[in-house]
Amino acid sequence: MIPSVRQRGASLQGVAIAGIGVTRQARQIDGTSAAVCLEAAMAALDDAGFPLAEVDGVSARWPGPGGTVFHPGSVDWSGVFGHGFTWVGDTYPQGAPGLLDAASAIVAGQCEAALVFGGRAGETVGSNSGDSKVAAYTRPGNEFVACWGSLTAAQFALVAQVYMHRFAPDRGRLAQIPATIRNAGTVNPDAIMFGRGPYTPADVLASPMVAEPFHLLDLCLASEGAAAMLVTTLERARDCRHAPVVVLGGSCEWRRQQYVNPPRYDDVYRVGASAMGRALGMAGLTASGIDVFELYDINSFEVVRQFETLGLCGEGEGVDYLAEAGIGLDGRHPTNTDGGLLSYSHTGFSGPTMKIVEAVRQIRGSAGVGQVPGAEVVMATGAGSGAEYHNAVVLGPDR
Amino acid sequence: MPAEPLARSERPLTGPFWEHVDRRELVRPVCSVCRRSFFVPQVVCGRCQSGDWSYQPSSGRGVVYSHTTVHRPPTPEFSPPYVLAVVDVCEGDWPANGRSGGDTDDYGEDDRDAWSMLTWIVGCEPERVRIGMQVVVRFVPGPNGELLPAFTPAASEDAA
Ligand SMILES: [Zn+2]
Repeated sequence: MIPSVRQRGASLQGVAIAGIGVTRQARQIDGTSAAVCLEAAMAALDDAGFPLAEVDGVSARWPGPGGTVFHPGSVDWSGVFGHGFTWVGDTYPQGAPGLLDAASAIVAGQCEAALVFGGRAGETVGSNSGDSKVAAYTRPGNEFVACWGSLTAAQFALVAQVYMHRFAPDRGRLAQIPATIRNAGTVNPDAIMFGRGPYTPADVLASPMVAEPFHLLDLCLASEGAAAMLVTTLERARDCRHAPVVVLGGSCEWRRQQYVNPPRYDDVYRVGASAMGRALGMAGLTASGIDVFELYDINSFEVVRQFETLGLCGEGEGVDYLAEAGIGLDGRHPTNTDGGLLSYSHTGFSGPTMKIVEAVRQIRGSAGVGQVPGAEVVMATGAGSGAEYHNAVVLGPDR
Repeated sequence: MPAEPLARSERPLTGPFWEHVDRRELVRPVCSVCRRSFFVPQVVCGRCQSGDWSYQPSSGRGVVYSHTTVHRPPTPEFSPPYVLAVVDVCEGDWPANGRSGGDTDDYGEDDRDAWSMLTWIVGCEPERVRIGMQVVVRFVPGPNGELLPAFTPAASEDAA
């Protein structure tokens, strides 16, 4: 059930995404995080045909929040761009929360055109495909987590295990979900896993176990690269190169600090239900009105959980529901059409922005081989149960 | 130059927890006002916001709420496979006062005297660990030699 929603505050529907930018994504990229972030930001401006001189807002959490004495070595983005700003965001992460913060600032008149971007390069990234190295951001250093050798995949596994115990979903049907998403990446030329696969549920189940119930192919990549979006007023977006993509609604849900507390299924299963409900309510829609889902797919279970918490099926019913409905391009709920975090890329910090980027492409009709014909309304989400926070936006065309 | 990290027993909020662990004692924060047990330690009770709380001895008895066997550790000092678990630690009747469901949130409405921690299950083959298994605390050295409060199946489980 989607909670009933009261519109709080001003609508964001006078705000649009005018430009998107993505760098090459790879397991490791030479150079610096600042360089790839800048590359993505400039690509978003170029995509929009928007002059840098008129950007008056910036949100770039990594590698720096705009230059401060508290973060020596952080990037001075006003120095890089050659002018100051009237609004600086410091949103963690980017993606939906970054977009919503920028949109709120624009509605409140704090700026008119904001670049929201992030990414990483040249940092030590262990491949997740053979050795035991794990990307730093997947190794929470928190006091009562790190001492046990936990990792983000294990924190989510502890949630998923209770679900498996209570509902015993068909493992082959569950494995079809990451296989389908990965197969979208197999044919996406920009995806890190392009050309690998296609994958069957049996391939997923035969891949090495990482933390039960998750096999390697149930889990997202850990990679490098950057992504950016230019957010501005709908009026200004109409003068840009592409048709505007309007922020129909969005909301966040911050339950607890991530990866600090023991992840108990009964406490975290519904994380995101209210955020998604508010996002849909602002858009005046229900979940069945969403044409394409770009869901945060750090693992296979989270895809199921998000569909259940959206209210499209009941708790414990998601695996069978999705097997019947289909999440491929020809399914009832096309999902993660670019290959997602499982196959396209997951840089940790710009992964959430990649969800927005693909949503924009779907609405523009420029998603290439992953395009859903006639896609108009897209939901993009971030984070998940094991992280104890979640967020969602609903995007649509200008009409 | 970054400061040396504090020894765990010198950490402002959690030092006493680790001092007890060094003596093979398990404790948990208990709010003096609303009597809530909570974990992890934080500056105030999450239910009533009182800073008047203290570490109290724990029964050291609990129930496996969830578990996962880790095959790919985050860093090389951990030797896989090992069993991570969320254990619901029961301070009242055991295990009747524990549960495999319910809410142990620090700010939840649940009045059962239970709290939860991330831990290891040791002294048991990973395949034998199951949700609902009764466990008791056992102090084992972590990768750096410092003791950690892990859990092991209770005697009643061996008989089962
Ligand atoms: Zn209290």
